[in-house]
Amino acid sequence: MPAVKEKELKMLDKAAAEFAKKELAPNREENDMFPFGPFFDTVLQKAFALDFFHLILPESAGGMNQGLTALSRLLENLCQEDSSLGGIVFTTAAAQQIMLEAGSETELGKLADAQTARDCLIGLPVFNNPAEIPNMAEARKNGHTYTLSGTLEYVVLAGVAGHALIPARLEEEEGYSFFLVNLGGAGVEKSEPVLSLGLRACPAVDLQLTNARAALIGEPGRGDAYFTRMADKFHTAAAAMSAGVMKGSFKEALEYARGRFQGGQEIIKWSEVKMLLSNMAVKINNADMIMASACHAVDEGLPGWEQKSSAAALHIQEMACGATTDGVQLMGGVGYMKDYGQEKRMRDAKHMQALLGIAPLKRVKFLEKMIK
Amino acid sequence: MLSRSEIQSFLTEHPDFDDISNGMRSAARFPNKALLKETRKVVALARKFNKEVVIPHALELDRKKQEEHDYLPWEFVQKANEWGFFTMWIPRFFGGRGCSFHSMFYFIEEIASQCLAMANLIGVHYLGAGALFCAWNIRVCNEIFREVAEGEKHEAPCLITAATTEPGAGTDCEETELLDKGTLTCRATRVDGGYRINGSKIFISNGHLSTWHNVVCYEDPERPSETAMLCLVKTGADGFSFGRQENKMGQLACPASELIFRDCFVPDRYVSMNNLQMSGLRGGEKGKTREILSQFFSASRLGVAAFGVGAARGAYQKALRFALNTEVSGKLLINHQWAQNILAEMYKNVASSRLSYIEGADVNGIEGMLRPVYNKPLFYIFKYYPFHWMKPIVNRMLESSLTTRIFRKLQLEWMTEDQLNRNAGWGALAKFMATDAGMKNSHLALELMGQAGVRHDREAEKIFRDAKLLQIYEGTNQLNRQCLFESFIGRHYPQVRVYEHES
Ligand SMILES: Cc1cc2nc3c(=O)[nH]c(=O)nc-3n(C[C@H](O)[C@H](O)[C@H](O)COP(=O)(O)OP(=O)(O)OC[C@H]3O[C@@H](n4cnc5c(N)ncnc54)[C@H](O)[C@@H]3O)c2cc1C
Ligand SMILES: Cc1cc2nc3c(=O)[nH]c(=O)nc-3n(C[C@H](O)[C@H](O)[C@H](O)COP(=O)(O)OP(=O)(O)OC[C@H]3O[C@@H](n4cnc5c(N)ncnc54)[C@H](O)[C@@H]3O)c2cc1C
Repeated sequence: MPAVKEKELKMLDKAAAEFAKKELAPNREENDMFPFGPFFDTVLQKAFALDFFHLILPESAGGMNQGLTALSRLLENLCQEDSSLGGIVFTTAAAQQIMLEAGSETELGKLADAQTARDCLIGLPVFNNPAEIPNMAEARKNGHTYTLSGTLEYVVLAGVAGHALIPARLEEEEGYSFFLVNLGGAGVEKSEPVLSLGLRACPAVDLQLTNARAALIGEPGRGDAYFTRMADKFHTAAAAMSAGVMKGSFKEALEYARGRFQGGQEIIKWSEVKMLLSNMAVKINNADMIMASACHAVDEGLPGWEQKSSAAALHIQEMACGATTDGVQLMGGVGYMKDYGQEKRMRDAKHMQALLGIAPLKRVKFLEKMIK
Repeated sequence: MLSRSEIQSFLTEHPDFDDISNGMRSAARFPNKALLKETRKVVALARKFNKEVVIPHALELDRKKQEEHDYLPWEFVQKANEWGFFTMWIPRFFGGRGCSFHSMFYFIEEIASQCLAMANLIGVHYLGAGALFCAWNIRVCNEIFREVAEGEKHEAPCLITAATTEPGAGTDCEETELLDKGTLTCRATRVDGGYRINGSKIFISNGHLSTWHNVVCYEDPERPSETAMLCLVKTGADGFSFGRQENKMGQLACPASELIFRDCFVPDRYVSMNNLQMSGLRGGEKGKTREILSQFFSASRLGVAAFGVGAARGAYQKALRFALNTEVSGKLLINHQWAQNILAEMYKNVASSRLSYIEGADVNGIEGMLRPVYNKPLFYIFKYYPFHWMKPIVNRMLESSLTTRIFRKLQLEWMTEDQLNRNAGWGALAKFMATDAGMKNSHLALELMGQAGVRHDREAEKIFRDAKLLQIYEGTNQLNRQCLFESFIGRHYPQVRVYEHES
């Protein structure tokens, strides 16, 4: 990696880590109360001011023109302290990437020019691959414009964002297409925020669309191609989030194990506790190596980068689910309580495993693609 | 052919045949027909209760508790009381309904498969009952259990907790070897006519909902294993108050509480076990603490195993329902072979873990804490004898110190080391096997369900949050592995040491 690029990344690392410690960690438990507590708009606005939502956009769309490595570093740092903001960055970036794949830079430029964080966000049902489970609307063409109708489940950020990218099927067309919907427009009805396992401050709603006006993104019927190209890259970003949450869990557990006495000594001295902590540390070391390799392959477009990206996500997400469950275990009853953030990490890690589709199905697809 | 002594000698080789044949041994001794009949009825009743009470309210209650931290589920407690679940497994001679413990474990599994928190709320009352039983103070048992029965009659639920854990000692309270290395602070000071207790307990399930609390305290916290005592404190007693309700990830319908004791006076009549009462029994002070702790956990861990099976089954059921109703990549998920095999794996986790708690219940009924009620003649007497006709006589018998002495002789002194180990080993094995299965299936269900899995309204995520607790309480699963190791493996080898500090 060129030295300049590496320096830039180091700066990003530092900025993201500082932001996470200063802005996310202190109010982690309160922010996680959403929807039974307020939404963390102030933090969101600060993240917006730091251009966290413009990272992967090209300069022509007002962005920073960074690749997956930069996005991954940002996400990993954020998720070490609190994954919800990571989820918001991920969702918006995934929607932006779909629009980029579809050649919709102009629309993206307009969205990125927003004055507030909320207006800059783009909702997307990012926990589902529309080609697997058809969670999509029906689209109708009226002259040059389109309208969408139907129910969509779990559209992430749609309760707080200005716009959402919605998959919909056009009458008499193969496949599906993506449409940009103004969420403040007529015919858009949002449910109450859906109460979820984790990422509670990265909320989702169910959408009911009734002849809602929408702009087609890219070409009709190419939704799956855009989604797949986005997902191929964004598996790496999802893996980074899981790596981050796993590191946060390890740090918390290690600190606790050093200070908690049972059986007349710090529990870290019991070799069974060492074993559990070591299992976590080994996973984290492996995740670091995998992330470095996957980011490099994706950003450089090396042969087989799609596979590396997907394999990184499948493996790191699974490791993170196990590691964060052990992270709770290591703290005993205290780990189960909301006071330490440890139980939240376990929920967040499991929640994130569902990013971009059903985990075991992604595994089957991985082989299918490999032998095709 | 083999001689008798040869058979005996081969069968006691490791693994001791008695350790691995509990089902067969119990079949030869138990009143099997009556047990089966009763268990079938209880399971059917549990399913009816699930349909009418648990399923309609499980999600709503979980959500409500997230919205309103201090909310207490009194309506559910009333319902469970109305249905008779707080006396169902209390012997009839104490005023209960006298069902067997096999049926209780099946019952717990049923309720837990629909809501772990509600199952815990009912089950933890029997953790409290178990704490009473294991001290074998029949007079105290009689008084408290009769109050529970009265509470049922008069729609004033009377629940019991077991309060062991302290801020500085969790794992250390669960194992006699560790007690003396731990930092125990709940002190009982001898005063005229009783004790004064000072200290606090944390994470006590059902605390805020219960009337009676079995509090483990120590006459000398520097020598806890030799001076441990058990006493009963009633909600409202002077010097006793509740601290906060713990802020948990899951099992929200079952609150966990901090109990605070400041010079709380406990009269002698509510001391269910102390050194004075136990003097004269073989085994010494530390030996008795070990035996009582061991008997308590051998039984309570089977209950937690049943919760674990319930969790594993609940997760399996949600995943199955999703697979039956969801099209994935053009066909129903249930018709993808990989999904079928994940479901088969989940089913196996449920079925094999269930076997572990049944095996544990069998050994407990043959030669553990539960053995008095499984003995065939006693079983029928306890089940059918019209105790209520002769209440005054029965009461006098139960209140006599001779009865307590007989039970203590039988249950504490005449328990062999092998029997103690067999019970402890199976309790631990079932506990960590079934609760690991609960967690495993929760993971699998969420993986299979993807986006639907993370939504509260699709029910699977709640199981994931609820199930994790099972790997922590009644001894972490690490401690339970140690317990199995000691009971089934270590005890055969003189060079084995456990809980040694390493450099
Ligand atoms: C919701 C909830 C309800 C509960 N209900 C009750 C109740 O009704 N009554 C009651 O008395 N208690 C109750 N408990 C307490 C429970 O039994 C304890 O949490 C449990 O025993 C673990 O103790 P701890 O939390 O102090 O963890 P610790 O003992 O501090 O353990 C922390 C970690 O260190 C490990 N560890 C500790 N000692 C050793 C050792 N010697 N060797 C190897 N590893 C070790 C543990 O395995 C764990 O991973 C409840 C707990 C919770 C969370
Ligand atoms: C040491 C040894 C002793 C044996 N003894 C006997 C004996 O005494 N008598 C006898 O009759 N046979 C015997 N067998 C044969 C044994 O039963 C077969 O090996 C076994 O049934 C598997 O068949 P296979 O080896 O042809 O593997 P295959 O059937 O070719 O399977 C190869 C792989 O494909 C998988 N697979 C196959 N079909 C499917 C499907 N429909 N869906 C999903 N996965 C599938 C399998 O799970 C396996 O992983 C023995 C085999 C061994 C190795």
